[in-house]
Amino acid sequence: MIIGRDLTRIYGMGAVKVRALNGVSVKIQKGDFVGIMGPSGSGKSTLLHMFGLLDRPTSGTILIDGVDAGTLDERARTQFRLRRLGYVFQDYALVPELTAKENVYLPSMARGMTAQECTLACSEILTLFGLGNRIHHLPGEMSGGEQQRVAIARALVNRPTLLLADEPCANLDSQNSKIILDLFQRLNRDLHQTIVMVSHEEWHKKYFDRIISMKDGVIEEEVNRSEGGELTPSP
Amino acid sequence: MFEESKVAFFLAKRSILRGNKGTLSLTILIIGMVFVNLIFLPSIITGVAVLFNQQSIDYSYGNLVIEPKKNQVYISQVSELQRKLERIPGITGVSPRYLTSATISYKGNVVTPVLYAINPRDEQAVLRIATKVSSGSYLADGDTGQVVLGSRLAGNEDEKLDVVPSLGGVSVGRVVEISFNNGVTRQYRVKGIVTSNSFSVDSNAFITKKEYEDVFGLEDMANQVLVRTIETGKENEMRNTLLSFGVQEKIWTWQEKSANFLNQIIGSFNIINFIGTAVSLVIAIVVIFIVIFINTVYRRKQIGILKAIGIDRSIIIKSYLFQALFIFAIGTLMGGIFLLLILQLLAANPIVFPGGPVAPVVDLPLIVRSTMSLFIVSLIAGYVPAWITTREDILSAIRG
Ligand SMILES: Nc1ncnc2c1ncn2[C@@H]1O[C@H](COP(=O)(O)OP(=O)(O)OP(=O)(O)O)[C@@H](O)[C@H]1O
Ligand SMILES: [Mg+2]
Repeated sequence: MIIGRDLTRIYGMGAVKVRALNGVSVKIQKGDFVGIMGPSGSGKSTLLHMFGLLDRPTSGTILIDGVDAGTLDERARTQFRLRRLGYVFQDYALVPELTAKENVYLPSMARGMTAQECTLACSEILTLFGLGNRIHHLPGEMSGGEQQRVAIARALVNRPTLLLADEPCANLDSQNSKIILDLFQRLNRDLHQTIVMVSHEEWHKKYFDRIISMKDGVIEEEVNRSEGGELTPSP
Repeated sequence: MFEESKVAFFLAKRSILRGNKGTLSLTILIIGMVFVNLIFLPSIITGVAVLFNQQSIDYSYGNLVIEPKKNQVYISQVSELQRKLERIPGITGVSPRYLTSATISYKGNVVTPVLYAINPRDEQAVLRIATKVSSGSYLADGDTGQVVLGSRLAGNEDEKLDVVPSLGGVSVGRVVEISFNNGVTRQYRVKGIVTSNSFSVDSNAFITKKEYEDVFGLEDMANQVLVRTIETGKENEMRNTLLSFGVQEKIWTWQEKSANFLNQIIGSFNIINFIGTAVSLVIAIVVIFIVIFINTVYRRKQIGILKAIGIDRSIIIKSYLFQALFIFAIGTLMGGIFLLLILQLLAANPIVFPGGPVAPVVDLPLIVRSTMSLFIVSLIAGYVPAWITTREDILSAIRG
């Protein structure tokens, strides 16, 4: 599903070089709910940007659904993001001039769905997310938790093969965080949505099937959830 | 392609509806004023040209001017020529005349204007000078010893009011002395004064052809024959008709006769107009550019987000193009309405030029030209800043 091989990302081409990723190889299977954890500055976001085709690795290759991302030009990458990827940012990143519904509507409209299909998909997903009565609110008129749910709805409206979320709960209290995580879990279990999520909260661990721990730009440890439900380090 | 435009239009619409209305209105106002500026000045210039052209025809030349063959001073047997011309279809008036310079003196004021010698009745069939008598009366056929003066030539008692050298305020009934260039000097009673606002009429003098021939001992000749035709604008065809009727003298059209004077005026007007147009368009391009640029820079993060969720850069650029076009469309519309109001106002209170009231000429080519140039300017001013800002890579845009 996602295969990253020997990924490196080096910032600053001058004298001071930061190796944000320093040779990362990962495989993520369809239907996985993967958590990427690790201390601040360990390269979690950088890795997620690679998966989300928001940035290009300095070296190494990424295959998503068998497509080598490195071979795509800017336009094709944009199309790929639109049709196959959903990205949730830490700070929601909604378009402030668009209402909840319009924010969600936008990607499906860009995909060429008819107005009717868009409206239907939007209302359905917003209702599912418990935002039925916030449809016509602008982002500025919603709480952080609500905004983040709208952002997730926007990421999911085109039924992406891969949902990426970079610390989606960082700005939320634990109650709202739980709502988001439960939502992710439901999407993963009921719809087999593949999810890769960055987090550094210990208590999030119980939601993940797999945890990739990073440190200094490399993968330090990978743990998988066994049949029994315990987390055990993979060989 | 169509999908892209749909999304771009959607984004532009929201941006206009939910963006800063104050800035938008001001921008639209500026574009409206630019539109007015693009149309108004040229329309006045064309109006002035039309006025001057009409003046040339009505007060100086008629439609065609016949002059002596090369190396000759006079057209001889002019009455024969006149009869021939009057039989040609499409000709409504023929006026043979002499013109000479003569020295006129009155109470110590000495002026040397052009003196026209005319057959009053013939002249009235070609020119409209006779309708512009401001005091006294016009010449009649057979008048001798009488002169009609242009009002500027007659002048004012207060010299400061004069625009050209004048006789210092001659009024009807007074007697002036005219010295002709053959040495003859005679006394003439002022029969009338004409005020036409046409320079060539108001600074000169008129006597009858009969009087002139008496002074110079000539008979049945002329320096010039003016011809009036039914239609204006067909002068070249009429000239050919005259040639085919066997007219052997030189034939000029009024355009050729007034070309120098008019071209100079229109030429300098066009320079002013060109500068005005260029400045307006530069203002338009700068204003729209700045507004769109500030818009995009202010929405840097938003542009990053849009790209991150898979909205193509071209869609984003297009959405700003739509906004620029919206400013253009509403601005032009408002400018158009404002222009209509100005034109209404001018119709009620016309601008009076020397020569008469000027009616602004707003024709379709002018409107199309102004609209198109403003349209193109808006496209450029919308596209370039959007192109620049959307070039930034996604992550740095989102980080802000
Ligand atoms: N644009 C950039 N220019 C230079 N260095 C950068 C840039 N972005 C990230 N880095 C560096 O790369 C390293 C990894 O950054 P990254 O954002 O991936 O960390 P992270 O694991 O997501 O940390 P956090 O938990 O704080 O979000 C850090 O040392 C960071 O300073
Ligand atoms: Mg991070």
